[in-house]
Formats: sequence, structure tokens, C-alpha cells
Amino acid sequence: MPEIHRREFLKLVGASAGAAATVGCSDPVSKLIPYVIQPEVIVPGIANYYASTCQECSAACGLLVKTREGRPIKLEGNPEHPINQGALCARGQASIGRSYHPDRYKTPMKRVGDKLEPTTWDDAIAILSGEIKRAGNRTWMLGGQTGPTASAWIDKWVEAVGAGGRVVYEPFAPEALREATQALFGVASEPVFDLSGSDLIIDFGSDFLESGPSPTEHARQFAEARDIAKRERGGARFVYIGPRLSMTASNADEWVAAKPGSEGLLALALLKVAIGAGGGTQAGRDGVAAPLAKIDIAAVAKQADVPLATIERIGKALGAAKSPVLLPPGVALASRRAAATARAVMLANWALGAVGKGVSIPAPRDGKLPSYHQTLALVDAMKQGSVGVLLVHGSNPVYSLPPSTGFSEALAKVPFVVSLASMPDESSERANLVLPDHTPLESWGDAEPRPGIRSLVQPTLRPIYDTRALVDTLLDVARAMGADVAAKVPTDSFRALVEQAWAGTDFHAALAKGGVFAAQPGVEVTLVGSAVDFEMAEPALEGDGDFTLLTSPGALLYDGRGANLAWLQETPDPVTKITWVSFAEISPRAAEKLGGLVFGDVVEVETKAGKLSLPVVVRGGVRDDVIAIAIGQGHTVGLWSSGTDSGHPGEARGVNVIDVLPALTDESGGRAWLLTKAKVTNTGRHEKLPICQDSQNQRGRRLGLAVPLAELAAGDAHVEAEHGAADAVPGAGESAPGYPAHGEAAHGEAHGSHEMIKAFDASMDRAPDSPYRWGMTIDSDKCTGCSACVVACYIENNISIVGEEQVRRGRHMAWLRIERWVGDGNLEGGQDRLPIFPDAESSSTVDIRIAPMLCQQCGAAPCEAVCPVIATYHADDGLNGMIYNRCIGTRYCANNCPYKVRKYNWFDFALERWPDPMYLMANPDVTVRGQGVMEKCTFCVQRVASARQIAKNENRVIRDGEVTTACAQSCPTHAIQFGNLVDKTSAVAKAGSEPVRGYHSLEELNTRPAVTLLAKVQRGTVEG
Amino acid sequence: MTPPPGESIAAMIRQTPVPPDSQTNRDVMNIFMTTPGLGWLLLVGICLGGLGGGAAVWIYQIYKGLGIAGYSHPIFWGAYIVTFVFWVGIAHAGTLISAILFLFRARWRNAINRSAEAMTIFAVFTAQLFLGIHVGRIWKAYFILPYPNQRALWVNFKSPLLWDTFAISTYTLTSLIFFYVGLLPDLAIARDRTTGWRKALYGSLALGWQGTSRQWKSHNRTVLHLSGLATPLVLSVHSVVSWDFAMAIVPGWHATIFAPYFVAGAIFSGFAMVLTVMIPVRRIFSLEHILTNYHFENMCRFLLLTSTIVTYAYFIEYFIAWYSGVEAEKTAFYLRLFGPYWLSTWIMIVCNGVIPQLFWFKKLRTHIPTVFVISTLINVGMWFERYVIIITGLSREFNPAVWGHYTPTWYELMIVAGSFSFFSILFLIFLKLFPVIPISEVKELVIHERAHASGQPAGAH
Amino acid sequence: MGPSIGGRFRVSPNEFMFRKASHLLARVRRRAVEVVLAAVIAAGLVFGLATPERVDAQAPAAPAAAPAGPRSSQKAYDAQTAASDPSTPGPVQPIPFSHALHAGEYKIECLYCHTGTDKSRAAGVPSVELCMGCHTHFGGDMEGVQTLKKYWDEQLPVPWNQIYRLPEHVKFRHNRHVSAGVDCQRCHGPIETMDKVYMTKDTIWWPWLLPSTKPEMGWCINCHRENQASQDCLTCHY
Repeated sequence: MPEIHRREFLKLVGASAGAAATVGCSDPVSKLIPYVIQPEVIVPGIANYYASTCQECSAACGLLVKTREGRPIKLEGNPEHPINQGALCARGQASIGRSYHPDRYKTPMKRVGDKLEPTTWDDAIAILSGEIKRAGNRTWMLGGQTGPTASAWIDKWVEAVGAGGRVVYEPFAPEALREATQALFGVASEPVFDLSGSDLIIDFGSDFLESGPSPTEHARQFAEARDIAKRERGGARFVYIGPRLSMTASNADEWVAAKPGSEGLLALALLKVAIGAGGGTQAGRDGVAAPLAKIDIAAVAKQADVPLATIERIGKALGAAKSPVLLPPGVALASRRAAATARAVMLANWALGAVGKGVSIPAPRDGKLPSYHQTLALVDAMKQGSVGVLLVHGSNPVYSLPPSTGFSEALAKVPFVVSLASMPDESSERANLVLPDHTPLESWGDAEPRPGIRSLVQPTLRPIYDTRALVDTLLDVARAMGADVAAKVPTDSFRALVEQAWAGTDFHAALAKGGVFAAQPGVEVTLVGSAVDFEMAEPALEGDGDFTLLTSPGALLYDGRGANLAWLQETPDPVTKITWVSFAEISPRAAEKLGGLVFGDVVEVETKAGKLSLPVVVRGGVRDDVIAIAIGQGHTVGLWSSGTDSGHPGEARGVNVIDVLPALTDESGGRAWLLTKAKVTNTGRHEKLPICQDSQNQRGRRLGLAVPLAELAAGDAHVEAEHGAADAVPGAGESAPGYPAHGEAAHGEAHGSHEMIKAFDASMDRAPDSPYRWGMTIDSDKCTGCSACVVACYIENNISIVGEEQVRRGRHMAWLRIERWVGDGNLEGGQDRLPIFPDAESSSTVDIRIAPMLCQQCGAAPCEAVCPVIATYHADDGLNGMIYNRCIGTRYCANNCPYKVRKYNWFDFALERWPDPMYLMANPDVTVRGQGVMEKCTFCVQRVASARQIAKNENRVIRDGEVTTACAQSCPTHAIQFGNLVDKTSAVAKAGSEPVRGYHSLEELNTRPAVTLLAKVQRGTVEG
Repeated sequence: MTPPPGESIAAMIRQTPVPPDSQTNRDVMNIFMTTPGLGWLLLVGICLGGLGGGAAVWIYQIYKGLGIAGYSHPIFWGAYIVTFVFWVGIAHAGTLISAILFLFRARWRNAINRSAEAMTIFAVFTAQLFLGIHVGRIWKAYFILPYPNQRALWVNFKSPLLWDTFAISTYTLTSLIFFYVGLLPDLAIARDRTTGWRKALYGSLALGWQGTSRQWKSHNRTVLHLSGLATPLVLSVHSVVSWDFAMAIVPGWHATIFAPYFVAGAIFSGFAMVLTVMIPVRRIFSLEHILTNYHFENMCRFLLLTSTIVTYAYFIEYFIAWYSGVEAEKTAFYLRLFGPYWLSTWIMIVCNGVIPQLFWFKKLRTHIPTVFVISTLINVGMWFERYVIIITGLSREFNPAVWGHYTPTWYELMIVAGSFSFFSILFLIFLKLFPVIPISEVKELVIHERAHASGQPAGAH
Repeated sequence: MGPSIGGRFRVSPNEFMFRKASHLLARVRRRAVEVVLAAVIAAGLVFGLATPERVDAQAPAAPAAAPAGPRSSQKAYDAQTAASDPSTPGPVQPIPFSHALHAGEYKIECLYCHTGTDKSRAAGVPSVELCMGCHTHFGGDMEGVQTLKKYWDEQLPVPWNQIYRLPEHVKFRHNRHVSAGVDCQRCHGPIETMDKVYMTKDTIWWPWLLPSTKPEMGWCINCHRENQASQDCLTCHY
């Protein structure tokens, strides 16, 4: 079809239509470039999958790297991998962007004057080896955790070149926990928590669903433990103890907003009640009798600012629970007494017989482990000028170490700094020499998240730039330093090294599978008698001020390593739905005290260590005496992590909260975060925040519904909106139009509501002869809001990143967004959308409904009727087709879509927001939308189409489970089911036929959606 | 309202000294025969500036994308559609005056119908511009035409936007013909009184009109039939435009009253615009004896009527929202009055609902300056009416997660200003090229009047 | 649709192969000297005499290495001349390759060279290696083959001029059409008679007297109609 492009059109205005019609037909100059030697595994147009391992965090999930013509275009979870079992979190999904990042160092760089200039590898290696020779044992290495093989070899290398030593530095290393385990059981290793079998989960603020040790795995186990269909009594209960209603806490049944720092005491108090109620093992009871004697529950209640009744109630439940799991605090609550706190929690686990069941203690791993106090020691050494050469790899200390450590100054004292980063960050910008590393997709490697689970990293992308793997670089250095040095680290390449390390195994089988997975059971442990006797008191906080500064890891940016990945910046924060900027969360009462702050008012947060000013988000999900700021923003280097993308190069994007933290450790020498009080003052300035959900108050509209467990059990339960809404609205019924009142009306409506599902059969909305009607079921009881699906959707469908300013202007392009509703909402603030966060959020009975919203593929789609050119229409298989090349951009369809899932290309985002070489990662199966075109989710129709080809060749219909959407595939909890509704035996049809919980978003509009949501189950507070 | 009988018209006109017919001719001809004055040139200059600005912005917008406008999700329609509806509304006076009032034999229309018709056409042209400005890919906009093509693709006849396309084009065509037919005799007069290029122009346009009784006969027939043809259009066009909204499910749009509501609004704004334009024209070209206060007063009566209808519609909208019991509807309308767009809403209510009620007082509706001010206010109010309907509707829809806020950007405002300039330029040129007062028809009146005066049968001269 | 389609954003396999090629190019440049030397020595060994011309890197080292195997037929020579004749329709290709000769005269199966066309959405363009598979044995005496050898020696891909190209928003699947038994000729014209490939202008008269030439949409639709293939938009556009 003759293509007239916009810019050509401008030239052509006035020219004859004939002339115009000829423009843009396949131009003769385009070339057809074949391979010189075509690898037999590659058939152009067909994707290859390679098993590898995700390097974003220590969980080390298995990857399937989807490659087309030799370039990875998407990361998917490896179904055979025991950790993630086919799912992959948002961070993992986005990490593909590292390889195609426009910032990347393209060659080695050396400092000339005050800036870095490209050089050759030979030159760079020569310089470095020279420097190391000169510095000798004044050479030090500072870096993040690498795979076991690399780690061991690097230690050898450090020796070989006669360097002073190597320090492993990870901002979020669980040192306190290891210390606690060491003290209690004499085994120095981080315990592994398995929630799948548990019936009561008490999380002391580990935020295991977002930033915990293994989020994807824990999300899956969490869902298993609470599976309403498989577990009796509604499955495990989940109590969250912590000062902030985080994403994890939003999934809890009960939120105990305890005073930060009191977790240890609470653990012991709960344990005491539990044992009092006859809980725990015999050994446990005897073991902890002594320490518990010292615990005065009433006193703890006062200290922790938790009602005594609550402690008793939860304690009793804990005692009654068959297999409880208690999760020790994570980074956010790692106080100066983190080790003691962890010990208290682990002790409780042991006493209640969880150790060996839900909690296993793996054999201690050899090899160097992250250590904060060693890091601080190194910083001191640097200050004293006793470090000549510092090699920094896999970490960004300039950003992630508090300035109060004086690292920045210390670095200035080091004569020669070498960075092995693959893309610029605050640390590498300070280097004299940059030896760019491969990205995980270009490099070899391995990982061993826990004993027996060995996972391989294999290169799936030919290095785009002139980079080298860390080990290879160091190897070259060793060689350059002389044969004798090289002889001490005998290997010819990193690859050889890996193969050598895996010698025992069938390497190729391992490559194909992704590794060798023979998880070893935890070691048998017994309590070290003396260990139970330790002093558990509240941690002291630095400085003064009315607020405790709570620094929680970014749900998406983690410790800041995600900040330069556009997808993680653009994906809304799972709780506040804010993108691109930093913000501080305070409670409405606190906001009142500070002079009636509202959403977006800028405050100044001051601690002993410094001050920063940032906008506030006022929500009930925070304790009144706490100000919560996420870690991760505030970079000054990087296209997306700094202000560069918003047109302010060199300026920080948001604030780095680490800047105002003192450099203090816990008893174990591990890094502490919960350290300081903060003064908060109102600056009187106001900012418009780039937020993607304008209100979390659903005003009783049927968007996110919930069912009380009791009624669910009763069987004839009705979706709960009626009650809640009716209650929420003063004088329900008459005065609250739109909401049915109690009693008869409510019941009629109720049955109506669940008959709505039977009122129409979605599988009928297709062409009569079509064997398919694609549909989806989303279980909001399983959905945790982790946003993995959102990022998966972005990458699968080439969705454009629009940037901070455009998001602020409400032009977010996500096809799939996750809506977070606080209860049923009410008409409060009927004047306008404020408050964004209803006060109900502060209630201790958590009632958050998380409802992913994507195109509902309606059977009676309002959008289809109004498109004048049939660019959107009802396809044979029931999909709500969107034909980009037919769209002329009247935007009528979007106006008429009640779900507002249609996104419009206001600019030519495709050209303007995909800098080189990013277009290499675009999915060739999906048309990239140009300016002036409407776009939306089509249930990954490209995947359906591919599956259909296979089915047709074997002339059969597509089997259930043969095709799935990117979102469903990435979901750790299998909350999303996709499939053919015509096939009544398909998983999606079965799940969708849930009699009580099933509902359709805004069903009263009768759009006949193909997406069935399953209402959240309200399990209520835990009872003894 | 029912038009007054012809006698009373004659009575009205008798008040002014009766000019001989050649006098009428000269008065009217002087307007457009005389070389343009400085003021005229100045006006044209200003308008050209505005037009240029608008055009430049449009080109930039095509190059850069609609993002330069204030749009966001969920507010996908903005100032462009608002102004589009506004101009379509303006376009209604012409046909109404020429067709319906013609059929009602409301003679007083004669003096103003020419300018009203001209306005209609120019307004429709302007409105059509916005269809192009509004779409995202104008280089593909031809898709919306149901032309047979090798792709075997057709258009969606279910879509109100398509109905629009047809309604507007039909309307344009009919009004154009109507305008031209009515113009014929005057063109002939002009032809006979001019020389040079004008003569050539009018000559060719006059299609050899001689004014023979046979020609007059068929001319009158044509006009009669055309009016019959055009009358339903007055109702249809804006009904169709209103369905763009009423057919959608957006709270605040999805109302059955929209069609009559919009038609009344259109006539309302159309008449207001005619007044706003003709009052200065009359003043400048001193046509008081032809465009008498009587004409203006009648139009004010019309304004009063339509204003009342519109106000009633406003009220009914709220009633329905309350009566429906749908929370989304109620919230939308509540926020219309007290939400972020309260100012626009109140401007609309005051300008369209309250102020026109002043026309109950004869003093005010015959006091020309007042009439001018009020009519202008009505124009403003009617623009805001569309703004309120479109923006508040879209900004507070079913899903509170995507409630948005919209403020037009400078780019949009420049284009809107450009459209006004475009309209004005066309009208200014019209003033200098064609008789703004239908000579023959006015003369007809005068003759009638004479006939009554001398008690002889009309036409015997 | 928008400019993103034709323009810089086209993410077709070709584009990536091109990048790959440029990497190779870079590597080859580094090695240029060795390559030439190797060629010279090879030549020297073969004929025992190395004339200065042959040392020149520009002059194809190939002809020297050439006449392996029998002298090619007159037909072959004619085909080559025809394929390099600019006056006939279609662009002149970097190598005067004649489909008429290979597919027509020698009756080589299309899929033999265009591997993967029956498996994949994209039609496989033969790799240089594949051509060399035969041409190390045949046609060494022909200019075209010598050019090919040159590409092979320098490990460069052949930058063929593309004749048939669909915009990105058309998701045409070769494999489906092959397995549905549509002959290549249906779209690519009498390829087996073409010395130099050009786009044939087939015309259909659907709908009512509207000519549509390949590969325009109407032409596709028409064929889909005739064969009761799917006419759902989503079949080809997503």
C-alpha cells in the first residue's frame, strides 16, 4: 500500500495525488544483506532461546534469552529453573536494556586532563599493568558480588599481581542475618525461607515481595500458600509488621504499624504469647524460656506503640499456627541492632519449629562475601593515601556509600582509579582508566544462589562494542605483567575458566538447561545454648527531629542500579504510582502538623548528615512519626538516571537519600540503614508529580472488588462492593446513589453482580466459524502488584518510553497498568480527585485491591463502533483488533473506552525516544507505531499468530497453554491466565468460571469484556 | 415565534423616509464598489497576521505531532473540536434565515439574509479546517472518505464521525448553491453598473441574468424549492454533530437531549454572530434605513427564545444525571459546577442563560450598543459551552485512575485565533466584492410598500 | 503508517545482518594485508609465477585461482551478459546472477538456495558460503563467479538490491504460503525465466475496475479471497 510519510506529506502538499501515491513505495536502494556464513541454528525470522542467568540481584533467577537473528530481544524466565520457575521480575525484564544502552562505553577510556578519552585495549592494559607494578600491594579491588567461579579466580589474581586485597561491597548485603544464624546455630549462612507450606507468615519488614532476597520465588510461594482453591481456610494468613504500608504490606491481611526498631522486641513478645498459648516445639519452649522471662509484653506493647490486644491476638494465632514463618527485617529496618533483631526473629522461628520446615539453614558458602566494615576500612586506607591503585567493578560506591564515610574525598586521594563498569556511573566518571566490561548478555559466567543450585550465564549477544569481560581484562593485565604472573592464574579465557569450573558436569546439557539444579537440603542445626541470652533493646537513633527517616529500597530501582534503565523509571512505583522522581511519604496527620501539606508540596528533610528537599506524598500508609524515602534516585550521571533525559544534563534526578545517612554499622559490622531522626520543614513550594494513577479511590465503581472469606466459604457470597460502599457513604442507599443499599437491594445487586458473568458468554463474541475466542482471567487475590507484567509488556510490544515531562502531562504509554484501589472507596473529596490516597489506607486491616488493567477485548466494544475508518474492529477470534496503518488518529475510540486503555502517539516517540543502538532490541514481530496513531494491547496477537502458524501446519487448533501473553508469562504468582474461552477445558475458562469471585470491570456498562477478574479475598485479621 | 404580517413590516419601513429604488441600489453598491478604505486594509492586515500564525502552528503541528497541544490521556479532544463545533453552530443562522424564515414569509429577513448566508458558508469552511487540524495523521485523512479503492476497504457507517463528514459536506454544498442563486439578480445589477475586471467577474457569475419575468419566475421557484430542501438541514447538521457526543458513553455526553439542545444552541450562536458582525457593518456603511432596528429587534427576540431553550437543556442535563442515579454521571455533573472547570461552566451559564434574558425589555433589545455587547457575550458563552461539555466530560470518566486535567496550550489558542482571522478575512473580502444587502429583495419590499401607499397593485411600475 | 516504518526504525533481519556485516568488514580491514599476501602466495604456489598485477589487491585475486573445473557453457555466458545488461528492467545486481540459468536451465529447487523459506516468515537469502558450496567447483572461469569468490575471500556479504519489499506493518509469512502450496511465481513472477530479477506488474481488477498491482494490498486480498484464505486484518497487520 502506498505509504505517504508525514514529512514527505509536508513536501507534497499541493503536489498531485498521483505524485503523492508513488512516494514511499519500496525504494530501490534498500539492500538485502545475507550472512556470509549462516550459522545453522539461525533461520532469519525464527527466534532462538538460550538459557542463562539473571545478574540483577543475588537471587540469580534463570533466564530464557529470546534472540532473533543473533540479538536478544526479550528476557523470559526459565521454566526449568528452581528459583523462578518461568517467571521473571520487572528488574530482570528490564535488564536487557543494559546491553543496548546508549550510554555504554564503546572503547576503553583513559583520563586526559579532566575528561575521559577513548583509547585502545593494548594501551589501556599496558598502562594498568604498569600502574599495578608500581603500586604493588597498594593495589586494591572494590567490587560487587560476582559468580563463584569469577570470584575465586579474582582472589587468585589479586594474589598473583601482588595486590593488597579485594573487598566485596554490596549495599544490601544481609550481613546481620548471617551473623544471627552464626550466633544461634553456629552456621554462617543466610537462611532460606520457603513460604509455600506456611499457614502464618509474619514479615518484620523484609518486603520479601519487592526487595527481599528472592522476590520472584517468594511471590510464587506466597501465592501457593494462600491459594484459595487449594488451601483450606483460605490459606496462609499474612501479618506485616513495619512502619510503612509497602507493596508487600499491601498484600497483607493485617498491618501492624509498629515503631521502627521495635521488631526484635515484638518478635520475642509474640513468641512469649505463642508459647504461653501452647505453641512451639518442646525443645523450643525449653530453649527460649530464659530469655523470654525477661520480656514484659505490656512494656513491649508500649515501646512498640502497638495495642497489647493486638500482640496477644497475633501471638495466640502464632501459637496455634502449624507451620508459621517469621521473616527478619530487610534493608529498610536494618537498625544498629539489626543483628540482635535478626537473632530474635530467627530464635522465634526456631522455637516455633519453623527451622527445618519453612526456614532452612544452607551450608555456608565459601568464597568472599560482601562486608561493609571491610569497605569502611578500605575507605580509611584510601584516606591515609595507602592505596595506590583502586579497581572498582560491579558497584557504584560514590553513589551508594554515604558521603559521611568520606569516600568521595578518599577516592580523590587515590592516585590511579580504574573502573570496570560497562556504562558510565558516578564512580566510573571519577576513574583515570575505564576498562568497559561486557554486559551479562555478552559475557560468560555462573551463579550459585544456594548450595546445589548452580546456574550458568552464557553470551547470547555478540559484543556490540569493543568491550571485554572482567576476568578477561584482568587476565590480560596479568599477562602484561609477565609470564610469571600469568602462570599463577592459569587459564586462557573466562570461557575456559567457566568450563573448567564446571568440569564435573555435562557442560552442554547444563548450557541447554541453564545449569545444574540439585538443591541441597539445609544442614541440621541445633541451638547454641549460650546464644539465646542476648540483650534486645531498641536501637538509638542519631540526631533529633519529629520524624524517623525510613529509607526503603526502591521497589524497581533497588539500590539505584535500576535507575538508568528507562523501563524501571517509567514503570510506576507499585504503591504510589509515581514515576521518574523521588518523593517522601508522610501520613495525613503529619502533613497536618506541617501546615496542611498536600500531595506534591515540597519539604526539606534535614538530618545531622545533611539535608535534601523533595515533594511529599500524603498517605495513610505511613506511621505518623515516620518519613519514608525510597533509595535509588538522585544519580547525576546517565541518560535516564540523571536529569539528562529531561534536558538538564549533570543534574540529579530526584534525590539520593543516602546522602543524609550517617555511616554506621550494626553490631555485626553490617550496614545499618534505620539510623537517624529527621527534621522536616515546609518549603512552601509545590511540584506537579508525574503520577500514573490519578486516584486510588474507586468511588464504589466496580473496578476492584473483594469478597470476605466467610461469605466465600458460605458459597453464596456476593462481591463485596455493596456493603463496603454502602458503609463508606454516609446514610447509604438513598443518599449514596450509585450504590445499592443493604438488605434486599444489596442482595439483588449481589446476585446480579455474579450473574453478570453468566449474563453473557464471552466465548460467543467471535466469528461463527472461528475456533478461538481469546480471553484472560486475572486473580487479584494472587496479584501482588510487582509490575513484572508491565515491563514485560513494554519490551514485548516495543512500547515507547515517553519520559518524565510527558508522564507528567498524562501521556504514559503503558498498555498494561496496575491499578491499586484502597477499599471500595467513597465519595469523599467528591469535589475532585484529591485525596489521591483515601484515609482508609491507614487501617490495620489491609484492604488494598490490585487490579491490572489492560484492553478488555470487549465483545461489545465501545471503541469499535465509533472508529470512522475501521482501524479498530472485532477480529474473527474475538480480539479487539487495532490496525495501526489504518488509523488516522481521530482518537474517538479512546474517548469512548471506559477503561482508558488506549494510548495515543502524541509525538513520534518511536523515533525520538529510541536512541541508537536501542532499536536493535525491538521486537521485529510487532509494528512500531508512528506519530498520530492509537495503540493498545491486543493480547500479544503476534504470539497468537505465530502459534497459529504451527497449529495450521499440523492442521489442528492451538492447544491450551501453547500460546501465552508476555504478561501472563512473566507473572510469578500465575495470577494472569490466558487462553481460548471456546475450549471450556482450558485453564482460563476454568479459572474464569469461579462462581463467586468472578466479575468484570465496570460490568454495568455491559461491554462484554473477555477479561474476567477474580475478586480479592478478605481474610480478615488473624485470630488465635 | 410567528413572523409579523407583511403590513406591519411595511409599517415599520414607512417610519424611515422612502428612498427611490435607484437610491437603494446606490447605497448598497457603494459598499462594495468603492475602493477599500484604510480601515478595511488594516483589518485585513491584522487578520492575515493571525491567519499566518495559525497556519505556521498547524504546519509545525503536522511535523512535530499533536503533543504540542494540551491533550493528555484521557482528554483526547480539546480546543480544536470545541472550536469546530462552535463554527458549525455559527453556520446555522444563514440557512435558518434564508430557508425557514423564507418559508414562514418573514419578510424582515430580507435585509440580513445575504450576510447571514455568507457567514454560514465562511463558518462551515472554517469548521471544516478543524477536521483536518484535529486528526493525528492528516496525510492519511483521505481514509475517511468512502471511495472505492483497490484495498477493498470501506468506512464504518456506524461512526458518528462519518455521519459528520456527510452532514457537513452536504450542508456546505446546499448553502453554497442557496447563496449563489440568491446572489444572481444582484450580480446582474452589479454587472450593469461596473466596468473593467469587476464587470467581467460579475458578468460571468451572473450567468446572463436579464431580470425577465420568466427568469424571475424560475428564480423564485428555485429559491422556494431550495428552502424546502435546506430546511431539514438546519436541524440535521447540528443534530449529527451533537451525536458525536451523544452516541459516546462518556458521562456528560451520553444524553438524549443533545440533538435539540445543540440545534437550539447553534441557532442561538448563529444569530448572535450575525448581530455581532452586522451591527458594525451597518454603522460603518450607514445602512440604518435598510437594516432597521426592527430587524435587530426581531433577531433579539430569536436570541431570547433560543437562549431559553438552551437554558432549559442545561437544566434537563442535570435532572437526567440525578434521575439516572449513575454515580459517574452525577459526579461528572457535580464537578462541572464545582470541579476544576467551574469557571468555564459559570461563564457558559451566565452568558447563555442569564444575560440574554435582558432581552425581555424592549428598551434593551432596541438599544443597539447593548445588543452588540450581549451578542458578543453570547458568542463567548457558546464557545465555553462546547468547552465545558467536551473537557469536563472527558476529564472525569468512569475510571478514576485516569482522571485528567486539560488546559489549552498557546499553540492551540493560536490556531483558534487563526480560525477567527480566516473567517474575518473571508467576510471582509465578501464585503468588498458582493452586495452585502440583497438589493432586489429589499427593493421588493420598497415596491410593496409603495403599492400600499398608492393603493395600486404591486409590481405595476 | 508513520515515518517509523520506512525509516530508520525498520527492524528487519536485513538490518541486523548489515550490522553484522559491518563488524566483519572492520575485522577484514584489520587483516587486509594478510589476506592479500595469502592470496598472492596461493597464486604463486598454483602457477609458480606471480605477476605484479596479481599483487594488486584491487584486481580480483580470484581469476588467478579461477579455472577450477570445466569451462562453463555458452548458455551460462549469455545468461551472465543478460543479467548485467542495465537496459533490461530491474536493478543491476552486484553479481550478475541469473535465475533463468540456475532455476530455469539447471532446474535447481528454489528452496535449495533460499533455505528456511518454508520454515520462516522471512525468505532465506542464500549466504555467500552456500553459493561457494557449488562454485568452488563450477564456473570459476566466469566473471560473476570470480566476483563472488572475491566476496568470499574477503568474508564480505553480497549487498543484493532488494526487489520485493513490504512495509513493516505487513506481516507476510513465506512459510505459510509455501506450505499452502502457492508457487513462488505467483508473487515473484516467472522468476525461472529472468536473467535479471525485476518486479513483474501483475494486475487484478478487484474491486470493480480498480487496478491493483503487486505487491499492493488489493492484490493480496484478491488472492486471499480466491483461495478462501483469512481476510481478517489481524492476519497480516499487528
